[in-house]
Amino acid sequence: MSDVAAVEVKNLVKNFKGPFRGKKVHAVRNVSLTIAPGEVYGLIGPNGSGKSTTMKAVLGLVAPSSGMCAIFGRNSTKVDSRSEVGFLPENPYFYKHLTGAETVRFYGKLCGMKGLELKHRVEEMLELVGLQDARDRRLKGYSKGMLQRIGLAQALVQDPKLVVLDEPTAGVDPVGSREIRDLILELKNRGITVFLCSHLLEQVQEICDRVGIIHQGVLVNEGRLDDLISLEDKTELILENATPELMDQIRTLVEVTHGAGVISEGRARTTLESLFLKETRSQTLRVRKKRKRVSK
Amino acid sequence: MSRPSPTSFFSFRRSLIIAQSTVTQLVRMKVFYFLAPIALLFLGLQFFDAFWYEGPEALMPEQELRMHKNLCLGTMMLFTSLFAIVSTALLIPGDIEDRTLYTILCKPVPRLDYLVGKLFGVIAVIFIAMLVMDVLLVATLHFRTEEKLIETTEYMTKIGYPEREIEAGRAEIAAHGPTLLLQFGVISHFLKACVIAAVALLISTFSTSTLFTIATSVMIWIIGAFQSIARDGLFNDAEFGDVPTWADKIVGTLVSLIFPDFLLYEAISDGAARAEDVLAMDMAQLGGLSALYIGIYVVLSWFVFSDKEF
Ligand SMILES: Nc1ncnc2c1ncn2[C@@H]1O[C@H](COP(=O)(O)OP(=O)(O)OP(=O)(O)O)[C@@H](O)[C@H]1O
Ligand SMILES: [Mg+2]
Repeated sequence: MSDVAAVEVKNLVKNFKGPFRGKKVHAVRNVSLTIAPGEVYGLIGPNGSGKSTTMKAVLGLVAPSSGMCAIFGRNSTKVDSRSEVGFLPENPYFYKHLTGAETVRFYGKLCGMKGLELKHRVEEMLELVGLQDARDRRLKGYSKGMLQRIGLAQALVQDPKLVVLDEPTAGVDPVGSREIRDLILELKNRGITVFLCSHLLEQVQEICDRVGIIHQGVLVNEGRLDDLISLEDKTELILENATPELMDQIRTLVEVTHGAGVISEGRARTTLESLFLKETRSQTLRVRKKRKRVSK
Repeated sequence: MSRPSPTSFFSFRRSLIIAQSTVTQLVRMKVFYFLAPIALLFLGLQFFDAFWYEGPEALMPEQELRMHKNLCLGTMMLFTSLFAIVSTALLIPGDIEDRTLYTILCKPVPRLDYLVGKLFGVIAVIFIAMLVMDVLLVATLHFRTEEKLIETTEYMTKIGYPEREIEAGRAEIAAHGPTLLLQFGVISHFLKACVIAAVALLISTFSTSTLFTIATSVMIWIIGAFQSIARDGLFNDAEFGDVPTWADKIVGTLVSLIFPDFLLYEAISDGAARAEDVLAMDMAQLGGLSALYIGIYVVLSWFVFSDKEF
């Protein structure tokens, strides 16, 4: 069972028809990715690059123009595939007339839960996202961050093996955002697969095992985070008690220096942010050049 | 924790969960407040005697009762039909627009369950509203009938009618009271509202706005009220010596499938209001026809909705 990928996207293409036979929108072009069970996968990319569309295709909310998506080996177009997955859409919106507790209970019931099990689960979820105090208030009066939290509670209610989070920290304050980060790490510890996208690259860098960078519907880079942000031709030294003189000496000859110890040695890293900028910028340039050529 | 069993393509239980949440939603939208003015209207009718006639020229008591029944049934019909259209048109496009639907459909919820659940919810609210109005109708009509019975008996005794005729007069008035037959009229209006809700459901699956759904449903409602007349005029026009061809018949049948024939419902409710004999058989047929209409519209909605992207 464990060798089945949690999420498999194969050559996914998604085009949206423009209104009145207008220009087609190519939201996703030939994206393939595989997420192993227990992995935290981050999809990053500029606005409108097709992140949400890819997630919706994985959840069967949009039908692929070509290619396929599967969750734990079950095709996303089938209802069955959704029993093991929790989804937090971007800017989530729920029934305004329900209270927080009623909302979580409603989604629990939809997943086939009932009775005491459901009751305990609802309390557990509300506590997890820190909304016990607001449990009996209607969602009409919830703030954006509170809606985001109730969305998380809703996504996790049936204890899914995979959670898909579309910008889980959007609109959440810095403290809450850290809490959500910790929550995701806890999910990871419990062996739950997480597929998320976010614009907060620092957080993605902190929590993801693997990332994919998507730009204008194309997956331009993908791999283990450690591999992606390590630089092949550079080496990093972390020094202790380094004086300016020492730094001078190091610059001339590191090996013969005594008294200072090398604590760790490895490949120097760029940040995910600079990689993101580099990838998307180079893609944009390439596209622009191509367009220029075409227009000539 | 128990893992859910494979999801069947339709689950009654899940539909009921969605129906229940729909009822909660409508109740919290305070739709039942609309029943207050209706109650006032029914009670007000109570005191609305055709008082401009007095004595023997007065409107026959059963005519007055009939007027009461017609006005009440008409109000019930108008309210439930409009309610069926507006609430259905608000619910589904609303869910799509504010993306609540994402969160529901990404749970293991087949789309048919969602549609049927919404329809059940609307129908349940219509049922409750109909029940309340029915109780009001029966109560007001009961008091009014009693009043007429006493008046007539007094009047006829004063004039000196024989006992037998007084009894006959009383029986006639009683027949216009809150009888079981009257319930046929109420049921036919309820069935009609259910069919209209199903029509609105179908339209809301492909329309993109509430306004379009309401306008189109109202149009179908109106066409449905007159379609059998139009059909007769179009296809059975004996004046031109037209014998309906099979093509005419097919078109006619298609039209009657797209636009439900609401005249059939009116016929039964009129008969019930006039205290004519409405056969239980006719009533049962109307029930069957309604189920057929609703079934067709739900299946069509499902076809449209199952390929829909959000
Ligand atoms: N239903 C739709 N109809 C038409 N075009 C759509 C639809 N949904 C998305 N698109 C288009 O597809 C492209 C990708 O959109 P998507 O929502 O996937 O971007 P995103 O990466 O999630 O962006 P963001 O970071 O802003 O959330 C955009 O150009 C968008 O306009
Ligand atoms: Mg998005």
